[in-house]
Amino acid sequence: MNDLWTNRLSEYIDGELDNTERAALEEHLATCGHCYATLADLRQVIARAKHLEDREPAQDLWAGIRAGLTTDAPIPLRRDRLVRRRFSLTVGQLLAASIALVLMSGGGMWLAFRPDAQPSPIVQRGIESNETGNRNVARWRVQSDIAIAELQDALTLNEGKLDTATVRIVRENLAVIDRAISQAQHALRRDPGNTYLNLHLAKAMRQKIELLRRANALAGES
Amino acid sequence: MPRQVLEDTLTADSIAADTALAASGDASAFERLYRTHVARVHTLVRRMLDADEADDVTQDVFIRAWQKLSTFRGESAFGTWLHRLAVNVVLARRKTVGIERGRFIADDGPLDRATGKRETLELSLDFEEALAQLPEGARQVFVLHDVEGYRHEEIARMLGVVPGTSKSQLHHARMALRRHLER
Repeated sequence: MNDLWTNRLSEYIDGELDNTERAALEEHLATCGHCYATLADLRQVIARAKHLEDREPAQDLWAGIRAGLTTDAPIPLRRDRLVRRRFSLTVGQLLAASIALVLMSGGGMWLAFRPDAQPSPIVQRGIESNETGNRNVARWRVQSDIAIAELQDALTLNEGKLDTATVRIVRENLAVIDRAISQAQHALRRDPGNTYLNLHLAKAMRQKIELLRRANALAGES
Repeated sequence: MPRQVLEDTLTADSIAADTALAASGDASAFERLYRTHVARVHTLVRRMLDADEADDVTQDVFIRAWQKLSTFRGESAFGTWLHRLAVNVVLARRKTVGIERGRFIADDGPLDRATGKRETLELSLDFEEALAQLPEGARQVFVLHDVEGYRHEEIARMLGVVPGTSKSQLHHARMALRRHLER
């Protein structure tokens, strides 16, 4: 046994020896059965390490974690910025938006679910082969979800500043948009690469963000 | 789209959505994230620290994750972010329990004692148990390098040692585990 060489075997396996050291060690391995056998053992150890499996804890830890969440909110919202914007929206405008949304979401979903609905094969292939595009879509969805969550949170605080009729109309609009989003998401689970559905979902989410933003701005005016 | 790819995509989308919801304060979404990732986090903690600390530290990791969700930018997968956070919590724990840098470097004594136990250990000792027998320094380097895939430079930075120490600890750990494999 040669400790000098044995102690370098891990570096040899990990590719951390320079060419000269590597050649010298390989020359030694050709004549030293002990080091050769040790090398095989170390490789076996590394292989075992790579195949270790994760195990659940013996007991459910959620209750303790949940108790620790109550005192610490995860995200500081910038509500001050949300409510200071100067936009105004009349009840009539909100109603018009509501009607338009119903038409768009209803018509959109009819187009999506009609029996002969097929995305353009060229566009479809393009989307499926474009991993960057898919990542961008996923990132955009996450960002939109975050924005919506923030705006909804702000609206919960601001609703008291709006009159009852406006609150009711905003809620009805949101319900319409949420149905459109939910239908698009449901359809996308079956056909994730469908260009039309992705665009429809993006449009509905943009509309929700815009409505929430305007409702918050309207409350800020009050 | 192949079924597995589709399932992976849906899982990734679901985790991304739950991450966004949790960041807005939705504890139910955070519980789903916990259930998806707890085995990975708990296993990492158990391997890096003593088994009897694993539950407490795992809970600490998830509570910190909740507190820090606002800093998660979505540039990496949530699981990757959480894993890195878990490593940081483990290493911070290591410091708070008084394992000084000097002791980490001069860890060969316990390593020798661990490998010297081979004659008295049960023949059925499995790899995880053998790993748990290693002294902490060697065990942590082995877990970070061979199990988790970190490079020596990263490990050295995290542990506050030089890369040569990380390499030396890794080799000692592998040699010790090799002796257990020999049975």
